[in-house]
Amino acid sequence: MTDADLQAEVEAWLAANWRGAPPREESFGRDPRAEWLAQVRDAGWAVPRWPRDWYGRELSAEQAKIVERAFTAAGAPGAGQDRSNLWANTALAHATDSFKRVIVPQLLAGEVGMCLLYSEPGAGSDLAAIRTRAEKVEGGWRVTGQKIWTSGAMIADYGMLIARTDWDVPKHRGISFFFLPMRQEGVEVRPLRQITDESHFNEVFITDAFVPDENLLGPLNGGWGVLQTALAYERSVMGDMARGARSGAAGAKGDHAMLELAREAGKLDDPVVRQDVAQVIAWRVLNKLNTQRAKAELAQGTSSSIMSLGKLAMSRILHEEGRLRTELLGPESLLEGPDHPRAEDANFLSLNAYFTSIGGGTDQIQRNIIGERVLGLPKEPEIDRTIPFREVRAG
Amino acid sequence: MTDATMNQEERTALRDTVRRLFADQCTESDVRRIMESDSGHDPALWRSLAELGIAGLLVAADAGGSQLSAVELELVMEEAGAALAPVPLISTAMASVLLDGELAEALAAGRTIAAVALLGALDWTGDSNVRIEGGRAQGTARFVPDAGIADIFLLASDEGVHLVERASAGITPLPTFDRTRRMADVRFDGAATRIGDGAAARRARDIGLVALAGEQTGGARRIFDITVDYARERHQFGRAIGSFQAIKHMAADLLLEAESATSAARDAARQVAEGAVGKDAAVALAAFACADAFLRCAKDGIQMHGGIAFTWDHPAHLYLRRARSGVQLFGDSNIWRDRYVAALDAMQKEMAA
Ligand SMILES: Cc1cc2nc3c(=O)[nH]c(=O)nc-3n(C[C@H](O)[C@H](O)[C@H](O)COP(=O)(O)OP(=O)(O)OC[C@H]3O[C@@H](n4cnc5c(N)ncnc54)[C@H](O)[C@@H]3O)c2cc1C
Repeated sequence: MTDADLQAEVEAWLAANWRGAPPREESFGRDPRAEWLAQVRDAGWAVPRWPRDWYGRELSAEQAKIVERAFTAAGAPGAGQDRSNLWANTALAHATDSFKRVIVPQLLAGEVGMCLLYSEPGAGSDLAAIRTRAEKVEGGWRVTGQKIWTSGAMIADYGMLIARTDWDVPKHRGISFFFLPMRQEGVEVRPLRQITDESHFNEVFITDAFVPDENLLGPLNGGWGVLQTALAYERSVMGDMARGARSGAAGAKGDHAMLELAREAGKLDDPVVRQDVAQVIAWRVLNKLNTQRAKAELAQGTSSSIMSLGKLAMSRILHEEGRLRTELLGPESLLEGPDHPRAEDANFLSLNAYFTSIGGGTDQIQRNIIGERVLGLPKEPEIDRTIPFREVRAG
Repeated sequence: MTDATMNQEERTALRDTVRRLFADQCTESDVRRIMESDSGHDPALWRSLAELGIAGLLVAADAGGSQLSAVELELVMEEAGAALAPVPLISTAMASVLLDGELAEALAAGRTIAAVALLGALDWTGDSNVRIEGGRAQGTARFVPDAGIADIFLLASDEGVHLVERASAGITPLPTFDRTRRMADVRFDGAATRIGDGAAARRARDIGLVALAGEQTGGARRIFDITVDYARERHQFGRAIGSFQAIKHMAADLLLEAESATSAARDAARQVAEGAVGKDAAVALAAFACADAFLRCAKDGIQMHGGIAFTWDHPAHLYLRRARSGVQLFGDSNIWRDRYVAALDAMQKEMAA
């Protein structure tokens, strides 16, 4: 199919079908746009790079971009999930056939809520140190342990879980990866109050919860490899986009928001402010240009070192934008509440920037990864890398 | 614009050709030889570039040029910057925008070298005081790149572009800190022929900025690569220094700088080639992002090397000198950050209207 034919087809389909959908304000739980997303999925526009047997069209990266652009132009959600849907991509790559048949279509339509059961009180940056255990029983596994910082767990149907299935091998080699059904007796979720005064992340106490055999992703004890796929998707999404202002809040959005805010504040002619505004906008625009270039290079088959930089770049952007918003606002930023939406924005964004600089692997861990995997610099010595996990000191 | 642009394969071929030429004729020891020479110029190297069509990259085909665009110029400049090539490429690219006919032909053939003096509002130093009246140019232009080897001078300001022959120019070479980028003060007292308007002058300035951004990107990338290679090989405390997070994390941050410079320079080149609405903003962004990235890679590169890079014989300081001189060519980063805001502001207001 030629590019022009494809573009005509997707545009015609959108013209015939897209009538708008309710906005998605929370990034967790069942997607309110599920009905529309199912339509997109069935038409083959959700994951056009994927195989035909799996809702795809086997399009090249370049042609898939034509589809994404048409959706963006129409303001319609649901395309580009072969890049951005962390859950579906992980399942497609690693789930058993029988489970894939059930879960992949649901994930593409946002019909199930998901969460990530990775971090534990004793295992954050060092995820391979998890102590949640899965033990073999008839037809599946019994899971016991504690997870923490689990975003969206309250409204999740499944959690992508890493649990230890072999204690007598070094820490990376005894981990397995499961889709754990969340709505069962052995799973208790307790919300935590965040610095933003919201409660998106939770503690999850797991006691003898059951997960069927078919929900194991990848080989038994091969969970570390599956986790790398999932983390790569998560990080690339975090570098590409970040949650904006609190829903309903006022204020400028987009690449040049800082410019508008400076103008509104009557400070656009202040030479010091102009320097600051220029640099902060530049970081955002440069990250966007980097991402575009990375995608173009990947499409041409050149290896791209830029992909891993996005999340690190986004951390700086969000922290610096939070700071600049606050400075532009001045003493108004002392306030909060619905009568002070600009202050709400500045304060919320300043705090929520840590979501990106801590969540999904801290900035320091990202720098390690870039240094080691992209630049080929040697790792730090790790004393617990080669000994059986049973013998590793905790605390 | 009548420029053609190349497809991706042709571009890769162009890049490889230029890279090979520099690897052959512009090694570090060549750079040092040229740097230490009186003129700072290697006519043989320049002839080779002309033969490859690089001197005439932007010159029209009917004047013997390659008739390519800012996109290819930027690409070539990345290679020139990586090699620290002491060649009058930026001046030549700018002059290509201003000359046609026989002069353009001579430029493309490498027979004529043109130096461009930016004046009036385009002269960011504020030190030049050339007046053009009644067909005569009088006064001094300061810090003119490649003036020592120039056959003709192009005086470019918002009022227009004038050509002055070398015979009516008094040249005082300057002791530049970056010996790979020679400059001179030029005193004019003689005939000046008008050859273009203020818009042409600004186009030439933009081409100069794109070329410089490409050069800085190439320089940033090369000194970064040299540094990371060293961090993999140099051992202290029984392990490679690149395994220490203090070094590794600096390297990760510098990679982000180098990649961002690459994106900025290429985007500016594309927008200039297309004459896109966002081109002023893109050029301003590239001007400070590339300058700052190169400076940081060169500076941190020395720190990450330790003592070895404090020696004259190590190439790191050559990159640092280059990074420092580029910042001063068309205005420093503070100026371009200010103009970036102005360009975005203008764009927003236009869109609102
Ligand atoms: C808003 C938010 C949402 C989250 N959502 C989820 C979720 O849904 N699911 C989930 O599983 N987890 C989630 N997390 C957890 C997150 O992934 C961890 O917080 C993160 O990986 C860091 O682990 P930690 O908090 O234990 O800190 P630690 O690992 O204890 O780190 C503490 C400090 O030490 C530094 N450090 C640690 N190791 C190294 C090293 N090798 N080199 C250099 N510095 C190092 C860190 O950078 C940090 O500054 C979320 C976190 C946040 C903030």
